[in-house]
Amino acid sequence: MTGVGTFIGDLVDPGLAEVRQRNESAWLLTPRGEVDRSLEERMRHYGDSDEVDVVVVGCGAGGATMLQRLARGGWSAVGFDAGPFWDPELDWVSDEAGAHKLYWTEPRVIGGSDPVPLGSNNSGRGVGGSMVHYAGFVPRLHPSDFATLANDGVGADWPIDYADLKPYYEAIEGELPVAGDDWPWGDPHGYRYRPQPVSGNGEVFLRGALASGIDARIGPVAIANGRFGHRPHCIYRGFCLQGCKVNAKASPLITHIPDALAHGVEIRANTMVTGVEVDDRTGRAIGVRYLRDGIEHLQRARLVVVAGYSIETPRLLLNSASHRFPEGLCNDFDLVGRYLMVQGAPQTAGRFEAEVRMFKAPPPEASSEEFYETDPSQPYKRGFSIQTVSPLPITWAEHVASQGHWGASLRARMSDYVHWSCLGALCEFLPQAENRVTLAEEKDSHGLPVARFDYSQCDNDRMLVKAAQEVMETILKAAGAHDVMTIQRYAHLVGGARMGADETSGVVDGDCRSFAVPNLYITDGSVLPTQGSANPALTIMSIAARAADRMLAADPTRTREER
Amino acid sequence: MTGLPLDDAHGGDRFPGFDVLSQSRHWDAATREVVEARLHPDTSLRYFSATEASTAGALFDQLLDQPATGERVPVLELVDDRLARDETDGWRYETMPKDPDAWRRSLAALDADSVARCGDVFCAAGSAVQAALVQAVQDLGDGEWHAMKASQVWSLWTRYACTAFYSHPLAWQEMGFAGPAYPRGYKNLGVDRLEAFEVRDRHPSLDPARDGQ
Repeated sequence: MTGVGTFIGDLVDPGLAEVRQRNESAWLLTPRGEVDRSLEERMRHYGDSDEVDVVVVGCGAGGATMLQRLARGGWSAVGFDAGPFWDPELDWVSDEAGAHKLYWTEPRVIGGSDPVPLGSNNSGRGVGGSMVHYAGFVPRLHPSDFATLANDGVGADWPIDYADLKPYYEAIEGELPVAGDDWPWGDPHGYRYRPQPVSGNGEVFLRGALASGIDARIGPVAIANGRFGHRPHCIYRGFCLQGCKVNAKASPLITHIPDALAHGVEIRANTMVTGVEVDDRTGRAIGVRYLRDGIEHLQRARLVVVAGYSIETPRLLLNSASHRFPEGLCNDFDLVGRYLMVQGAPQTAGRFEAEVRMFKAPPPEASSEEFYETDPSQPYKRGFSIQTVSPLPITWAEHVASQGHWGASLRARMSDYVHWSCLGALCEFLPQAENRVTLAEEKDSHGLPVARFDYSQCDNDRMLVKAAQEVMETILKAAGAHDVMTIQRYAHLVGGARMGADETSGVVDGDCRSFAVPNLYITDGSVLPTQGSANPALTIMSIAARAADRMLAADPTRTREER
Repeated sequence: MTGLPLDDAHGGDRFPGFDVLSQSRHWDAATREVVEARLHPDTSLRYFSATEASTAGALFDQLLDQPATGERVPVLELVDDRLARDETDGWRYETMPKDPDAWRRSLAALDADSVARCGDVFCAAGSAVQAALVQAVQDLGDGEWHAMKASQVWSLWTRYACTAFYSHPLAWQEMGFAGPAYPRGYKNLGVDRLEAFEVRDRHPSLDPARDGQ
């Protein structure tokens, strides 16, 4: 498995050796860079009556990171995922419509004055979670994100600050790993891997930004510029959002799950967890109820971690009501499901006489955080980031159709695809109590109430979207576009079970431990009190890695040596 | 593979000789299987009734400007297959029924509008009448249409229609998109840089956006 090349690589790059020492995942793929199915075949299995140290519900960004860290700490662990244990070569396709199975497509209901579509845009299913089909942008939050209420009078203050997360940002950036320019915004930092080459779309963005006096940089992207362990180099095929068959783009399936398996974790895929079981007498969680082949089981555990993301985590808690928690688990203060956020994500496209062919190369190429912070000269608080996005035909058709085109006009404009460049903004929408998940009347195929998600924008949200659109139009026109068009949409989900200083302001504390149940943790995007204008994956993984460290530190008696 | 019928003024024949399927030997096996299955889907419908299928087929032809003859993307069959498998987008508006029911209701409503306007069901109405009926739904915006929000019906129709149509190699062909790109990838990145197998647009100045179409 290991080769002389790897050994020499470690010698010339001590940083790489350190990464391998704490997380060997990239070296646990086959030498050809494929997911090594023998790890799954050889994995450890636990019985329901075994009280494992921890069960983790959801094997995405937060859950997989948690599993890997706790297994490294010597804990016995079982990870559940409602979806499959993917084999990228066999299960994923280099095709837009064929990627449908990567999304959570169980029924959900959306409402509010600005309903947010779910599914392909912001949900995942299967081991690796939605990072399987995220673009791959992995910016950090800015230090200001942790105190927006104190500084700007909007949003919320976190119980932890940037300095608490910084070492974990650095660690996860090493493990993904990340390629990009030196980063001047927020807490300035650099990346281990030099920026990727840019394609037509990135070229247009950088040219337009330069011409309009806006600083834009390449990255930060979770695709190594070069080989990384056994992971191959990117082939620039442009299907990042359909799952990376190459295994060049990072997702927990290849960045944390292999090492977790090698350290004794059991992954139970295709297994839906239906409830967290709490002993009403002691007030402690005793495990989780789950369905396998239609039969309900209870897996006992010393500690329960929920990492189902912003819709399914609140849904699971609300569906876990008991005598002690009649309104839903951890919901004594009516906070579960609330303060859920999406980012306003308008996409503006520009038309060029030249051929941009934006579908070539990964959609995540370049970005700007120049408008991220509150600008005192503007009527709104907080800001937005601008990034390259490169819609494939179906998504592009949605973009064109949103302008009102259908029939001959739609076909004509679609035939013009190669001439268009497309940018996207991420606007920091503010947390609001009424933007929330509740249980709908409707039941899923297991008979469980499905999630209902209501969303309504506030004035600040709308002002940000308008400002972001203007900046994107400026950039594209400065690059030479003579026609522009914008589609209004949303991206990402965070919040819904946020962290707070105490039980009246948050569901969990800064270490992701629930206030209501001492051995229940939530380690996914739902704990974020604010979201900045950053794609959330890196922050979710870093919060999970930190929470794992705190859990291990709080329980020093359990060490690998003990086992 | 010959292209879909589309006249030059409306974006036809911009990439002469470009043949997406001729590149399929460069596709991986899993992708080839998925894409090739779309070329000849099962024509026996499993979700739509015969009446609904007639209405839906005519609606798709309007939305996607597909004439009744010549090469076609089998949109009706692809959508029917999706609905039969209940493959939704994973959400529905609170004010709309579940997607399969929303399709049934909206097709019946379209027929009702058509009968009211010209005495014939939608599929039997002339193309101009069909176009006017479709346009009328779009023009309602957020207004109500047969107890549904028109914009949400429009979203349902266009999402399903565009997803089916632009999943097809013939549709990619008319937009210069080569489709699956694994394991070959791309090597010539940058503005105006093409791979050997890509074909340059021969009407780069035919800008439908500028022409105000």
